Amino acid sequence: MRDYFNNIYVGLRSFCKGLSLTFKHMKNKEELVATLQYPNEKWPIPERNIGFDMSEYNVVRSRLHVDMDDCIGCLQCERACPVDCIKIDTIKPSKDSDVDCGVTSLGTQKKLVVPRFTIDMSECMYCNLCVYPCPEECIYMVGGPNEDKHEMDYEFSQYSRDGLIFEFANATDEDIVSAGGDDYIRNRDSKIDILKEGEELKGKEVVPEAIDKKQQVSPATVSQEITHKSFSDLEDKMQRGVAKKTFLTEKKQGKSDEEILKSIESALKDKDLLDDQASALISKLGSSNQADSPPVADEITHKSFNDLEDKMQRGIAKKTFLTEKKQGKSDSDILTAIEAAFKDKDLLNDQAKDLLKSLTSTGSTEVAEEAPKGGLFELKKLNDLEDKLARGLAKKTYTKSKKDDKSSSEILEDIETVLKEADKLTDETIAVINKIKESL
Amino acid sequence: MSFVDIIINSLSSLEFSYTLTLLLAVVIPGLIIFLLMTVNAIVAVYMERKISAFMQDRLGPMEVGIFGFKGGKKFWGGIGQTIADAVKLLAKEDIIPKDADKFMMILAPFIIFIASFITFVGVPLSENFLISNFNIGILYILAMGSVGVIGIILAGWASNNKWSLYGAMRAAAQIISYEIPIGLTLLLPVIISGGLDVHSIVDWQLENRWLIIHSPFTFIGFFIFFVSGIAETNRVPFDIPESESELVAGWMTEYSGFRWSLFFLSEYTNMLIISLVASFVFLGGWGSPMTIFNIIPGDYMYLDGPMWGLFWLLSKAVVLIFVMMWFRWTFPRLRVDQLMYLCWKVFIPFSIANMLFVGMWEVLF
Repeated sequence: MRDYFNNIYVGLRSFCKGLSLTFKHMKNKEELVATLQYPNEKWPIPERNIGFDMSEYNVVRSRLHVDMDDCIGCLQCERACPVDCIKIDTIKPSKDSDVDCGVTSLGTQKKLVVPRFTIDMSECMYCNLCVYPCPEECIYMVGGPNEDKHEMDYEFSQYSRDGLIFEFANATDEDIVSAGGDDYIRNRDSKIDILKEGEELKGKEVVPEAIDKKQQVSPATVSQEITHKSFSDLEDKMQRGVAKKTFLTEKKQGKSDEEILKSIESALKDKDLLDDQASALISKLGSSNQADSPPVADEITHKSFNDLEDKMQRGIAKKTFLTEKKQGKSDSDILTAIEAAFKDKDLLNDQAKDLLKSLTSTGSTEVAEEAPKGGLFELKKLNDLEDKLARGLAKKTYTKSKKDDKSSSEILEDIETVLKEADKLTDETIAVINKIKESL
Repeated sequence: MSFVDIIINSLSSLEFSYTLTLLLAVVIPGLIIFLLMTVNAIVAVYMERKISAFMQDRLGPMEVGIFGFKGGKKFWGGIGQTIADAVKLLAKEDIIPKDADKFMMILAPFIIFIASFITFVGVPLSENFLISNFNIGILYILAMGSVGVIGIILAGWASNNKWSLYGAMRAAAQIISYEIPIGLTLLLPVIISGGLDVHSIVDWQLENRWLIIHSPFTFIGFFIFFVSGIAETNRVPFDIPESESELVAGWMTEYSGFRWSLFFLSEYTNMLIISLVASFVFLGGWGSPMTIFNIIPGDYMYLDGPMWGLFWLLSKAVVLIFVMMWFRWTFPRLRVDQLMYLCWKVFIPFSIANMLFVGMWEVLF
C-alpha cells in the first residue's frame, strides 16, 4: 500500500518536473535554439591559424576555377589530371583570319581559341595536380591562398549530376566560327542531337525498322522544313556558320521562314559571303517553303548575278545592283554601273561581259538552269604531280593565271612553259597535264 | 435555447416549407461544425508543430508563408505550412491494399469522422451556441465519444495487416478502459449541480464557483478526466495504438490521402471536444475568469455576452489543447502494462473514492 502511494507521488513529481523542464525550454527559445537555417544562415568559417602564412599554404582543397582570360589552351592541366575530369577543346585560327585571341595577364600572346573548358567536379578528386603544370597560373583551387583571385566556394551542390560540370570557356559561337571552327560547332551540335535523341528514347530499344523509317523520312522533312541543318550543304565554313547563327537567332525571335531567309541573305551580304551556292540554296529553301511564289528570273534581280564564277565579281555586282536599285535607277543604268564597278577593280572578264550583255539585251534571263560548269579545272587535280617542286610551281602558276582570268587551256599551257623552264617537264607531268586537258 | 432552435425560429418568419426549414436547420450547423473542425485541425497542427519545435529548441516550419507573409523568425514563420500540407494531403493518391476488405476500409474513416462530428452536437461553444440542447448532454457526449472505437477496430481489421490490427486492438482496449474514469469523473458535476444538461452544470458554476476549485476532490476529478481524455484521443503519452516506433501508425498504416486526413481531422477534433468538455464541466464554461471564485455573486455577467462567451470558452479550450501538446512533447510513451496500471489501479479507484468524497463534501458543506 505504501509502495502504491509512493509510486503515485513519484509519478506526480516527475510529471511536474518534466512539464516545467519543457516549459523552460519553450520560454528560453532564443538562446537555446539549435537550428541553423542553412541556406539563409551559415556558420562563420573559423579563422585558421596553422602556424604560417596562408599564401605559403597551397593545398586548399575547394573547387577548381579557371581564369579563362589567361588560359592559352596548352592542355597541360588536362594531361595532368589523373581522373580525366578536365576536358579542353582548342581551335587554331587559320592564318588569314584576323582573330586576335588576346594576351594573358603574364603577357603571353594567346594563339588558340578555347571553345570548351569543362571541369567535372563530380569526378574531381581534389588532388591539385592540374594546378602545378599551368604556365599561366590560371587554374587553381578557389579560396585560401587564392582568396584574392576567387572567393572561397565549398558549397556547390546541385540537383543533377550535370550541374557539377563547370564550363569555363567563354568563346561564343561567333568567335569559334570566325576562328574557322565551323566543323567543331557542327560536331558539337550533332553530338548534342544524338544525346537528345537518346534521351527521347528513354532507355527503350530502337527497332531497326524505326531507324530505316527515320532515315527515309529525314531528307524529306529537311527539304520541307527549314532547320539549321538545311545550311549544312554550304561548302564555305564561314558562310555556313553565319547562316546557321542567323537562322538560330531569328528562329528564337519567332520570325517566319521567309524573314529568316531574307535576314540570312543580308547577313551573308554584309560579310561579302553571298556566293551563288548560298543564294541558290536560299532561293531553293524559299521556294520549297512556298511553292507558289512567283519565279524570280523575269526581272533582273541581284540573283541574276549568281552565274558569275568569281566571288569578288559576284559580290561587287550584287552590291552595286542593290545600291543602284535603291536609288531607283533603270536596269540598263544599273548594268552600266556594275560594268564600271568591275572595271574599277580590274574584274571585268569575258564571263562578266557576257552576262552583262545578256542581261542588257534581254532585260530578263533564265539563268538558273544553264549555269555554266567549271570554266576552270580544280587546283586539286594538280596534286597528281608527284614531284614536289613541279607541284608547287604548277600550283603557283595556276593561281597566278587564274588571277589574270585565263581559261583552263591557257593555264595549262602556262604551267607547261613554267615547268619546261624549270626542267621539270618529265613524261609524268606531261601525262598529268594531258589528263587534265582530256577531262576538260 | 440551442442553435437549432434559433435557426428554426428565425427561418419560420421567412415562411419556408417545413421540410426546407428542417433541412436548413440540419445543414447550417453541420457546415459550421465541419468548418470549425477543419480550422481547428489546421490551426492546431501548426500550433503543435511550433510548440513542439520550441520545446525541443528547434524552429519548426519556417519556409511556407501565406499570401506573401512569411512571418519573420518567431512564432509566425511558416504560417502557411499546414494549409500547404492539407492541400498536399487531399491531392495524394488514395491507396487501398489489394487484400484489404474494401468496403470496411472505406467505411472506417467515415465512422470515426462521424463519431467526432456528432459528438459536437452536444458540446457548447457559448451559452446559445449549442447545436442541440439535450437534457442528457453529458451522457450524450460520453456515448458518442466512444463510437469512434468501432471505426478504429474496423480500420485495423479491414487493413488486413497484423500491425494495424495490433494497433486497433490496443486502441479498443485503451479507449474502453479509459471510458470508465471519464464516466466516473463526469459524474462529479452531475452530483454537484444536480443536472445532466450543459446549461445546468455551467449555470451552477456561474452562480457558485468553478468546479475545479470547488473542492480538492473535484480538482483531482478534473485531473483524472483530462488525462483520461488524452488517453481517449490516443495522444502521446497514451499513443500505443499509433506507436510510431513499433507499429508505424497502427490502425492508420494502410490509409493515405483523403481517408487518412479524415483520421487526422477527427483526432484533432477529439482533442477540441475533450478540451471543450473539460472547460465547460470544470472551468466555468462560457463565463469569464471573473467568475472563478464568484467573490461578488450575481456580478458574473461581467464581460459576458454571446461573443464573449464564445471567446472565453474557446480560449479555455485552446489553453487545454496547449497543455495536451505540452504533455505530448514532454512525456515518453507508456508501455501497455503501465497504461493499464494507470487506468485500472490508479484512476478508477481514485475516481470512485472521489465520488464518495464529493458526495460527503456536498452533504457537509
